[in-house]
Amino acid sequence: MTKSPVALIRSAEEAERLDDEEFDGEFLESQPFDLLDAPVIGRLLQWRHSRTLLQIPLLAVSVVMIFEGLLGPTLSPKNMATVLTWVHFRGALVLAILCAGNLFCMACPFMLARNMMRRWIHPRFTWPRSLRNKWIPVALFVLVLFCYELFGLWASPWLTAWVIVGYFAAVLIIDGLFTHATFCKYVCPIGQFNFIAATAAPLEVAVREPEVCDSCGTKDCIRGRRDASSPLVVLQRGCELALFQPAKIGNMDCTFCLDCVHACPHDNVGILSRLPAGELMSDPHRSGIGRFSRRNDIAALVVVFCFGALMNAFGMVSPVYTVESWLKHTLHFDSQATVLGILFTAIIVIEPALLLGLAAWITRAWAGVRNGWLAIAVRYAYALSPLGFGMWLAHYGFHFFTGLYTIVPVTQNAFAEIGWPILGDPRWTLVGLPKTVVEPIEFGFLLLGLAGSLLVAWRLAEDDSEQHPVRAFAPWGVLCLVLFVCCAWLMNQPMDMRATMMAG
Amino acid sequence: MHGIRLVDDPTLSTGALKMSWLSLRGRRRAASRHFRALALAAATLALSASACHRRADSARAISRAISFEASIAPQPVRAGDETVSIRLADASGHPLSRARIQVEGDMSHPGMAPVFSDAAETAPGSYRAPLAFTMGGDWVVLFHITLADGRKIEEQIDVKGVESR
Repeated sequence: MTKSPVALIRSAEEAERLDDEEFDGEFLESQPFDLLDAPVIGRLLQWRHSRTLLQIPLLAVSVVMIFEGLLGPTLSPKNMATVLTWVHFRGALVLAILCAGNLFCMACPFMLARNMMRRWIHPRFTWPRSLRNKWIPVALFVLVLFCYELFGLWASPWLTAWVIVGYFAAVLIIDGLFTHATFCKYVCPIGQFNFIAATAAPLEVAVREPEVCDSCGTKDCIRGRRDASSPLVVLQRGCELALFQPAKIGNMDCTFCLDCVHACPHDNVGILSRLPAGELMSDPHRSGIGRFSRRNDIAALVVVFCFGALMNAFGMVSPVYTVESWLKHTLHFDSQATVLGILFTAIIVIEPALLLGLAAWITRAWAGVRNGWLAIAVRYAYALSPLGFGMWLAHYGFHFFTGLYTIVPVTQNAFAEIGWPILGDPRWTLVGLPKTVVEPIEFGFLLLGLAGSLLVAWRLAEDDSEQHPVRAFAPWGVLCLVLFVCCAWLMNQPMDMRATMMAG
Repeated sequence: MHGIRLVDDPTLSTGALKMSWLSLRGRRRAASRHFRALALAAATLALSASACHRRADSARAISRAISFEASIAPQPVRAGDETVSIRLADASGHPLSRARIQVEGDMSHPGMAPVFSDAAETAPGSYRAPLAFTMGGDWVVLFHITLADGRKIEEQIDVKGVESR
């Protein structure tokens, strides 16, 4: 029997994949847990409109946040836009990824607005081939972090509201012009953050039984399902991010939209449990992505994700002002943007280039790995992803837990402001969990991240150098430890949150 | 794409839309309903916003007729216990006694614990309140003032760059 193209691809990859994932198998010998088989929630997610059901409340909250940000209290801690965005949304997002997966993309309110728009406006262009990579998201990710510090976005409800408006506008313009999920795959900085973080998630949208896909002749998971009598009418969309389920590996670029789940005629796509970060421990060809080791752009995204976490936390502790003051007086720069630009260049560009370059050079020279130093740096850069995620978890988790209850008085106040105080007077003393409880949790997140990074680096080292895996691993292990110490030091610094960095 | 072409979603293509006149009319009605609902929501929010602004304008009008001065000592302001001094006077400069003043300190970052304190009158029109800045950074100090005649005033001062200890 002649094998289908899908089967050929699979057989070519399967041996390598199985070999690479032998380690995972030790953890997942039994049948993986499938969220879609869970009572209630499984049935809900299998419902075709489940995503819309999740998106509607988030869209409503987004609209309220825009109005509240523009018209509500000007003081950030009393405004729903700033409290929800910078305390609850960020924390809930990373915690959801840690506990399940990319749930924010699943419930993305921007995509609901886009889908509504596309009922009337139909995109006509395809995204230029030269831009089908992650370089634009890398730049946008850095820009978001930079603007956050420069304009003190957390301190301004008005600016926060305009950020949300701008996001909606960007989605509608780009996906109004370009087909498929162009914004999600090639532009959205939040989406890229989620994709990288979700490599450490415990759940993945994946094929239940690969053999079923071998005999599938329709490939609805990517093509979508069409009306038999009117073939041009799509009954169910396939994957808009070009992830072909039988060859899809991991969570990169997966928005958990569940289009593939609903499209599969064999009910063969589930939300399966897996070893968190296991997808980083091997380098198979991934549908819609290719090999990680050949994607310098995604590696750069991981580096920005990891070192951006350090920069973002560094911007909120006392030593940053000492450094800025020193830069200001030494270099005679009065412009806050210039000083911040120097800091960002040092922490997000120069520091990783030096550290990763040095580690790659040592790996090449000491362990006898034949690849060039850039190829080695790109390959091992992915090992930093869990540690970066640990840092984001520690930082955002801190704000989330210590400010957990602040949404209560802010909501009471919002109702009181519109002359309808049905929730009573705002109880501004409601804040969140005490720091003594939250700090060990933060440290636990960092330790989890470190463990994940060390494990990924070790697995890559084992593959690269059968004779000297310890030598190949050592520089990356040391790098992870150095970064972990930096993270732990940052988390122990006295918090010093200023909306104007050079005020002091 | 391994020999599989990612096909444009025909729901996004004008030519592919096979829609009967009835369903089109139904959609127009639905769209019209949606627009009415949106307009109603926008009007409600606009009215609410204007109501808020009217209340704020009223408080500002009272505030303009009152002389309010506040200072924090010692300087520079550091995280820890500080003292806030307040002076209240009417338009002609006479001290305003027997006012109740609640002092509230908030960080510029949301989600942080606010600090509260009640001011005590130390001399006619002069008040003093302890305030514990819990961490370094930018703070906003709010003054919730109730005058002896029951009128209410809200004042605030920015305290930027409170130094960490």
